[in-house]
Amino acid sequence: MLYFKGCVVREKLPGISNATEKILKKAGIDYTLLDNESCCGSFLMRTGFKNEAEEVMKNNLQDILTTNEETVLVSCAGCYNTLKNDYKALFDVELDVIHTSELVKELLAENKIHVDSTEKIVTYHDPCHLGRHSGIYEEPRDAIKTTADLVEMKRNRERSRCCGAGSGVKSAFPELALEVGCRRIQDAEEVGAEILVTSCSFCILNLENALEKTKNQDEDGSLKSVMDITELILMGMER
Amino acid sequence: MKQSEIKAMNRSFGILDGRKSNILHSKRTEELKERVNQIRKFSIDNMEELVSRGIEKLEENGVEVVTADKPEDALDAIYSIVQDQGIVAKSKSNTAGEIGLTEFLESKGVSVIETDLGDRIVQLDPNSRPSHPIGPASHLRMDDIAVILSKHYGVDVKPEPRTILNTVKDDVIKSISKCSVGITGANSVAADDGSIVTVHNEGNISLVSMLDTHIIVVGIDKFVETIEDAVSVVKLETVYASGKTVPAYMNIISSPSKTADIEQILLKNMYGSRRVVVVLLDNGRRKAIEDGGECLLCIGCGSCIVTCPIYNVVGNDFGYRRHLGGRGVVLSSFIDDEKTCTDSGLYLCTMCGQCTYECPVGVKTSELIKKLRNDAVIMGLACDEHRIIRDNINKKGSPF
Repeated sequence: MLYFKGCVVREKLPGISNATEKILKKAGIDYTLLDNESCCGSFLMRTGFKNEAEEVMKNNLQDILTTNEETVLVSCAGCYNTLKNDYKALFDVELDVIHTSELVKELLAENKIHVDSTEKIVTYHDPCHLGRHSGIYEEPRDAIKTTADLVEMKRNRERSRCCGAGSGVKSAFPELALEVGCRRIQDAEEVGAEILVTSCSFCILNLENALEKTKNQDEDGSLKSVMDITELILMGMER
Repeated sequence: MKQSEIKAMNRSFGILDGRKSNILHSKRTEELKERVNQIRKFSIDNMEELVSRGIEKLEENGVEVVTADKPEDALDAIYSIVQDQGIVAKSKSNTAGEIGLTEFLESKGVSVIETDLGDRIVQLDPNSRPSHPIGPASHLRMDDIAVILSKHYGVDVKPEPRTILNTVKDDVIKSISKCSVGITGANSVAADDGSIVTVHNEGNISLVSMLDTHIIVVGIDKFVETIEDAVSVVKLETVYASGKTVPAYMNIISSPSKTADIEQILLKNMYGSRRVVVVLLDNGRRKAIEDGGECLLCIGCGSCIVTCPIYNVVGNDFGYRRHLGGRGVVLSSFIDDEKTCTDSGLYLCTMCGQCTYECPVGVKTSELIKKLRNDAVIMGLACDEHRIIRDNINKKGSPF
């Protein structure tokens, strides 16, 4: 199995790859990493740089195929949608892509990893790339329920409110992305969640900024942190 | 939009969304949706045929038809009919909003009375524009409305719904009595029957369309084959726009008023309009059809903006004139050009796909936005911040 970390995890949120690799080791799964992992191309493709995107994607595909690994494991929902759906549409290549939330669900079901209750109240934010664009809604929830109390936000699954960061909005309009993120934090506080779990590193980046902003405005609500699903599962494993 | 307006708008949207949820997934709605999807797809695929059949049939029925390629053509045609009028009555119309009809007529010295309650309130507020296609005053709180009306009428209007309604109603009724021309839009047009279908809850279109001359401003994309198809379209629009299964009124207008009650002799000009004029607007729609026509499948319910994460934060600055949200941004590229499209919010969309999920005809707005961004980059309209990231990725394989 090839573990493709994605740019945000590699450079901004290493806690996610640490958690993921710990889980992989604990479950006894052999995995490899790319020596020179590059961007999947999602950003370029969604901001209009079509030619550059296709160039980056072609090179990346070559890197992935050269490893001869059957399965590509990803942490980021954006990488998932791009590698699985966009590469297929563009290059007619069907990569066997699996998201960490699917993997942990499988490992838990097969008793390859074990968790205790974290005794936390958790809500799950469906990233657009994994939910609406790829139809993965239940696996992350099944995994969360093994170690926490899952409460649903009013807008969930197909109707999940976007975190506000995607497709170049966070880079071009950071204040707007943050404001949308704050709405999502509000959604989570409305249902009394302590932890907002999601499965997209870019959502986490934005939602963490939004939580910080919310806290700075002295709006002390129930929500204490935003984390990746692997980080929650690892917390349950280490109880 | 002001923060207080955004807040009020989201509150209104929340109530609307809740009301809708009860009937959205009923068997009746699902079947209707399937039917309307076929109808709209047929319309887009056969637009030219429907337009020519429609014009022929409308004229056969005694309706005058003016075709307008550009906004100026439509505005000039309408002005030539109303130039001697001091005042005209109008109902809510996104197409009239698209060409800036009210502003144009007022600049020429013709007063325009908006007869839809929400539209009238927005018209009297110099600081606001409609925030939803069906509920244009969604962003105004009752207190704001009372202040707007008090200022305009020079009397103290209490922030109480019935008082607000009565104040506007009395004014509009009085104004309509001075009008001989009424201007409306159309929700759907039946080509084979030569009939215009309009939908309203307030009864205002009935009043406006009974004046001496009735002008209907409509985009060529509104054509469907038959009245039955048109009624299906507006029923579905009603479900998605208001959460009700039917509107209070559906008016079907196929000709000026007439009678044959005396020895079957045809006499025109009974109670209704003596003259019905349809102004058929292209304004980039044919260009949109050449591009596949996806954005013209729209039936105008406004569901796309109600849950749009960006619209929920920035309001009507995201969109083009009365075509609100991402789909309006897309349409603006055909109506105007890539620059206007960029200024309307091409780069505000997160491509989250929520609008497509909410849309009764599944308009794939984010796909269209993606395509338009490719064009924008070629035109040199890319965001500077995006260029920096592109260079980073090219150099280091990472955006950071």
